[in-house]
Amino acid sequence: MDDYVVSILSNIGMISFLALSAYLLLLTGEISFGQQAFFAISAYLSGIATAMWGWPLWSGLLLGALAAAAAATVIGVLTLRLRGLYFSIATLAFAEMVRLLFVIFHYQVVIDGEPVGPDGAEGFRDIRWVFENNISVTEYMVIIYTVLVIVLTLFFLLERSRLGSIFRMLGEDTLLTEMQGLNVIRFKVLASGIAGFIAGIGGGFYAHFATYLEPQNFSVMLGVHALVYGLIGGLGTALGPLIGVGLDIGFLEAIRAIQGYRMIVFGGLVAVLLIFMPRGILDEERIHWFRLTWRRWRDAKR
Amino acid sequence: MTDFIQNCIDGVMIGSGYALLAIGFTIIFGVLRRVNLSYGPSIMLGAFVGTLLYVQFQAHAVVVAMATVVGAVLAGMYVERVCFWAIRRGAAVASMVSSFAIWMQLEELAIVMLPERTYPFPPLTETAPIEIGPFFLRSEHLTMFVVAVVLVAVVHTVLYRTRFGLSVRAVSENLLAARFMGINVDAVMFWAFALVSAIGGVAGFLILATDQQVTPYFGLWATFKGLIAMMLGGMGSLPGAILGGLILGIVEVQSLWYLGNDYKDLSAYFLLFLVLIIRPGGILGHALSERERAAFRRV
Amino acid sequence: MLTVENIVTAYGMIQALRGVTLEARKGEITCLLGPNGAGKTTLMFTIAGLLKPQQGTVRLEGEDLSGVSAAKVVERGISLVPENRLMFPEMTVEENLMVGAFVRMKGKKADLAADKEAVYAHFPSLKERQSQLAGSLSGGEQQMVAIGRALMARPRILLMDEPSLGLAPLIVEEIFRIVEELNQAGVTIFLVEQNARMALRVAHHFYLLEQGRITFSGLPGELEEEEVFQRAYLGSRQE
Repeated sequence: MDDYVVSILSNIGMISFLALSAYLLLLTGEISFGQQAFFAISAYLSGIATAMWGWPLWSGLLLGALAAAAAATVIGVLTLRLRGLYFSIATLAFAEMVRLLFVIFHYQVVIDGEPVGPDGAEGFRDIRWVFENNISVTEYMVIIYTVLVIVLTLFFLLERSRLGSIFRMLGEDTLLTEMQGLNVIRFKVLASGIAGFIAGIGGGFYAHFATYLEPQNFSVMLGVHALVYGLIGGLGTALGPLIGVGLDIGFLEAIRAIQGYRMIVFGGLVAVLLIFMPRGILDEERIHWFRLTWRRWRDAKR
Repeated sequence: MTDFIQNCIDGVMIGSGYALLAIGFTIIFGVLRRVNLSYGPSIMLGAFVGTLLYVQFQAHAVVVAMATVVGAVLAGMYVERVCFWAIRRGAAVASMVSSFAIWMQLEELAIVMLPERTYPFPPLTETAPIEIGPFFLRSEHLTMFVVAVVLVAVVHTVLYRTRFGLSVRAVSENLLAARFMGINVDAVMFWAFALVSAIGGVAGFLILATDQQVTPYFGLWATFKGLIAMMLGGMGSLPGAILGGLILGIVEVQSLWYLGNDYKDLSAYFLLFLVLIIRPGGILGHALSERERAAFRRV
Repeated sequence: MLTVENIVTAYGMIQALRGVTLEARKGEITCLLGPNGAGKTTLMFTIAGLLKPQQGTVRLEGEDLSGVSAAKVVERGISLVPENRLMFPEMTVEENLMVGAFVRMKGKKADLAADKEAVYAHFPSLKERQSQLAGSLSGGEQQMVAIGRALMARPRILLMDEPSLGLAPLIVEEIFRIVEELNQAGVTIFLVEQNARMALRVAHHFYLLEQGRITFSGLPGELEEEEVFQRAYLGSRQE
């Protein structure tokens, strides 16, 4: 497979984690502009682990994702009182703080006579574990997608589980959920933590794919994109955000003719789409209709 | 101490520009009950038209200002039709996402239009700073402040002494009742948008003329400043927007002076985060009505 | 004065009004009674131009109002006192009244001061509270503001959607006394109500709306009170 195609597909895979992270919070009714902060935290930490402390990839990825989850949980607790726009702006503020902190974050160790490590705005180079351990770009892509499929399966199970219903209930009406005797606080914080972990997985993969991180990679643009993917793909299923990612990074990238105008086209496409499908392509209603139709077809065959 | 006060003076002057941006957000949120993420970018597009005239035709600062305002208003009307009018019945989220999409469009459009990273903007004034005792007043800052004050007075007059302003306030307070009074709600929203874009255009011109340059990232920057200022001061209220803008200005200048450039934006975001966690209503707290608080929660 | 012919209004697939015909005569108080969900507010919204009917016409003194927007309907002379009053909460009583006269503010200086005084003459307690924020008023006072506000537009006909809703009985009596007073001063009123007892006391003519259809049209007294109450609150017994 052509290296270019592999890199596009890998990109789609990694950003999908971020999109799924924002999607989970959307289910619980919160619009987060800041999931990219957890993506960044995990990227940096897993990079530090493998490039500076000599950890193997898996441990590094896990550490990064756990750290992201921890940070997300803390933020989840701090923002408990906030709803709606207040919450969104708070997440935005936090994410920008994280980005700006990385601009002033310097931590380097000398390896083989060379300084290695995050150097503020200069970035963090040489996260080369993947290359030093002879994993090809194609193999890496397979790894990313394997983990992605696992996460998607978990989402699929979540949809059918009690926890999934509770999350969606939170998204519909927090007061009603509370009156069912459910501890809203616990579930909101849980959702934050899980979402942080998922974003962290993506971040860890990204660090080792790009081998070079700089704070401006993790700007608000990244986070809002991740959010938008879910909102245009539809919140009826975890495939929704993936459709959004695929549409932007995959489909539009493929059309060389619009090189340099991609944002103009994507932006226009999204705007028009939202006029006719304000709840996204695969929204809850449509998914419900699919399920009903499938069930009817299945029953008719008996 | 002198430095501290000087910074406060500078902060208030710079903050007056932020206050204008915050006012724009506040009015739109009041009337449409939606967040417009394309506010900054539409102003930026207007500024690009202005800089085009400046670079190609050496246009006078006043002409550039007018072009900026006109460009901002036209871009704003485009945003209003595509993101807000067309999605009238949809959820507020859809409009916000659509405004983000158009933000990306406008940003790339600006880059395509003028591919260099930065373009010059005419200076506001050429006069030397004014000295008052141990303090300096930069003349461009003073100009910005004075124009901002005038503009706030104009907005207040429009809102409280004109028929149009009455309709804007009515729509902000109770959309359905406003319809029953014979108010054409669609028209009110459209013209409120135009008014807000014009204010933004002036604010943009003032800020850019002070810096004497414009980049395509001005849109994002302006949106953030406006949002932060609005949230700091007390969301949904005009006095809050003004206060928030001034406070933001002061915080920025003080942290730039005492902590350095790396900490300037960090301090602003930190303050915002703190305010949101401790006192979400903003510094002027309960200036919001219950209905507006509910609207913020539901976005 | 106001004739509604064969109105069919639907929300998506739900037909709220299935061919409603009625008439509100000039100078009279006409009442529409019916249980919740019968379509009373839908009819009000249709007349007020907020909803477009699939079929049928609305005519004001012969003028066809089909397709007229909500804003223009007010200009043509129909003012609505909405259900739940719908105040502009951050505006004062005085400002609320002024918004009511919005359609008359175009062009030259309208003589609104006289209209304002006329409203205060009907509602003296409002005059005391003219600088008070409407959001802080009691339910009854808000109802008075809503009525006064609608009057400021000098309508040819005043529509009232459930004026007694959520108000204490004493206040309800006061409101209906005002309704009679206004009518005696020459205002044509079309009133939609659940409180059948009070409505029948003031009505010159009344209709029953059940499940989107007019099931009765006549004078108060033509139908057994008991039957009216039952159908107004619960709907007819199904055969």
